[in-house]
Amino acid sequence: MRILGISAHYHDSAAALLVDGLPVAAVQEERLSRRKNDAAFPLAAIEWCLEQAGLDPDDLDCVVFYERPGLKFDRILTTLLRSFPHSRRAYAKAMKNMLGEKLWVKGIISSQLGVPSRKILFTEHHQSHAAAAFIAAPCERAAILTADGVGEWATLTVGEGMKRSDGSVAIKLLRELRFPHSLGLFYSTFTAYLGFAINEGEYKVMGLAAYGMPNRVDDVRKLISRTEDRAFALDLSYFDFHGSVESSYSRRFTELFGPPRSPYEPIDLGTFEGRRFADIAASAQRVLEDILVDLAGDLQRETGLTDLCLGGGVALNGVANARVLRESGFDRIFVPPAPGDAGCALGAALYADRLHFGQPHRAVPDHPFWGPKVDPSKLARLAGEDGLSNEVMEDDHGLDMLAGELADGRIIGWMDGALEFGPRALGNRSILAAPHDAAMRDRLNRDIKYREEFRPFAPVVARENADRFFILPPGGERLARFMSGVFPIRPEWRERLAAVTHVDGTARVQILDEEMAPRLRNLIEAYGRRTGVPVLLNTSFNLAGEPIVNGAAEGYSTFRRSGIDILVAANICVRKRHRAHQVQLEDVA
Amino acid sequence: MDDPVLRRRFHAHAHDEARHAALFRARGLALRSQFPGDERDVITAEWLAPGERGLDDLRVEDEDAASLLAFIHLSESAAARDFGQYREVLDNDPLTRAVFDRILRDEEFHMHYSLAELERAAPGRAKYLLWKARIRRLWKAYMRLATALAGLMAGIVLTLQYYLLLPPFALLAKHAARREPRGWTIIGSAERATRNGQY
Repeated sequence: MRILGISAHYHDSAAALLVDGLPVAAVQEERLSRRKNDAAFPLAAIEWCLEQAGLDPDDLDCVVFYERPGLKFDRILTTLLRSFPHSRRAYAKAMKNMLGEKLWVKGIISSQLGVPSRKILFTEHHQSHAAAAFIAAPCERAAILTADGVGEWATLTVGEGMKRSDGSVAIKLLRELRFPHSLGLFYSTFTAYLGFAINEGEYKVMGLAAYGMPNRVDDVRKLISRTEDRAFALDLSYFDFHGSVESSYSRRFTELFGPPRSPYEPIDLGTFEGRRFADIAASAQRVLEDILVDLAGDLQRETGLTDLCLGGGVALNGVANARVLRESGFDRIFVPPAPGDAGCALGAALYADRLHFGQPHRAVPDHPFWGPKVDPSKLARLAGEDGLSNEVMEDDHGLDMLAGELADGRIIGWMDGALEFGPRALGNRSILAAPHDAAMRDRLNRDIKYREEFRPFAPVVARENADRFFILPPGGERLARFMSGVFPIRPEWRERLAAVTHVDGTARVQILDEEMAPRLRNLIEAYGRRTGVPVLLNTSFNLAGEPIVNGAAEGYSTFRRSGIDILVAANICVRKRHRAHQVQLEDVA
Repeated sequence: MDDPVLRRRFHAHAHDEARHAALFRARGLALRSQFPGDERDVITAEWLAPGERGLDDLRVEDEDAASLLAFIHLSESAAARDFGQYREVLDNDPLTRAVFDRILRDEEFHMHYSLAELERAAPGRAKYLLWKARIRRLWKAYMRLATALAGLMAGIVLTLQYYLLLPPFALLAKHAARREPRGWTIIGSAERATRNGQY
């Protein structure tokens, strides 16, 4: 069967194509449109997926949308009615939004793709999350926990999944928490209060939390209480996301925590205000973790299972994931490379294939590389036309040469094979650098990523060396496969890994299997032979405010606009001649 | 962009724009700290501004080089004219005036290089392409105005609807909300099948 999955209209639109039960292509619209978190209907992503498989829309057996727009409309309208008369502005905005486009998904898909409406299916938002987490995970039976801001009504679901020996798959969601009681929106409210963009700045809150003390936990607990059945409920008097378009938090919230941070002012952790914001971030993070650990622990005791599949945007919180692994009783936790809404495109397609059409299960390849492949000849042409020398690298010698450059403090833009599906750069579109020196971290922040100094960089290490540098709990290796967990660096290595050691001594490490990214693994090995430390700093290949690069042209453009020294696309390597480069630009200008 | 000369020029142009953004940001933050105001967004008539407005609905990848250059030339000309006017009224704020001075020099250069490149890329067709770009800008300005008017009209209709039609339903919704239990909702198996409908 040929099934196209689509997620769209809220943030991070994406398309994924399944042929005979296996993914053949998946890509986020932002990677093609070059608009960060592009929420538009993902026409470019769909076209690329179909082209990749050599299909026309007519060849599709089914198109699956990742949620039910009608149910979502029901939730929005009901919420606005409940907030009457406070919700006047939100009502006008929401109705224009929904009635203008978002409610008519079936018509949009049908008209854009020319697919008859009988071929269009809808899953529920959290079903899509659950399927993305469970069906793609290499496990037979697992508990499932999905948590995000909100789907239709559900904000968090728990259940279990089973892949039977006869090939059938079952996903049973047992119970759910409903809007407005949402862990994702609870955390997003703090994100907004701390001056970061919702749906984008949550990981900044997580990074900032390490600089603070969780000394406002009691205050945070006033916002979110536990219910008798061991769920939780928000005290809505502290929030405003359910009835306002201006703010997520209410006046009562600011009376409790003080004035919010202006998004235009930098956070200075040396000041009282900077420390206040860090303490609030730490407290919100602690409460989120406590609740997740409790929910996961209850689920483990209820199901008796040893594996947990986590889905939804909340599963991007690596600090919380690591605590859930340590304290909830599960042996292994599986977080897909795209646990957020983009991953729902793949989840919806998998759900339709295995559960709606009852197709026999086939193990989904355990990697995130479903996007467009980089074309090294294009890089060679672009660089050649601009007078930059490029060299064709023989694999062993070339990687050894690159390891030497990294050891000498050069920064490499690395493109290899197919683009990652999901928010993390997991080895095919990365900026690589030596991890030893805090000055490297500062240089990356200043000259390349242009971002806040409190945000850490991640290390990447081959599997066989991971235990030497990182304190991994049982199951930690799995969680680190797609950078989904934050773990302590061994104290004796923290100084030598200063560029990737966060202020609390932890790192969001990626543990690399040889088969997942063999060239990167060989590069790490070559680097280890030179320096004695087979670890590299790995951060996503993009500049602030831009999506991760896709093809050679975007990689080259990013290389030219930033402080990256060397650009690699597969076996082609281009170096920047700093002085000549500047002169050339000035000549032109 | 296949033409390497043009690519290098656009690259230099992009560098300038990034520098301008940094200059505006730095000066804006400095002014903001001098005159702290209301944090909330205020209604702006941004859609009316002629300058470089329209870049956000230009799909660069769909444009050929010549029409893109014509668009850039007109945008930079408008921006240079506007910035010149801003500079004239900023006698009492020499620092902000200096920012506009610096940027104005770049805008004038952008205006000239884009015209020269347009004549190189489309010899003999430059005037035609510039008129075509002017008409497109006019159409986009009309579309922005029409969208804003439609938004205004929709806002009025929806506000009337909100106050005239919704109150009884709001009462019912609030009443139902009070009866909702806190905590978990058990999911029935029948209601979760994948369906052809949106509901």
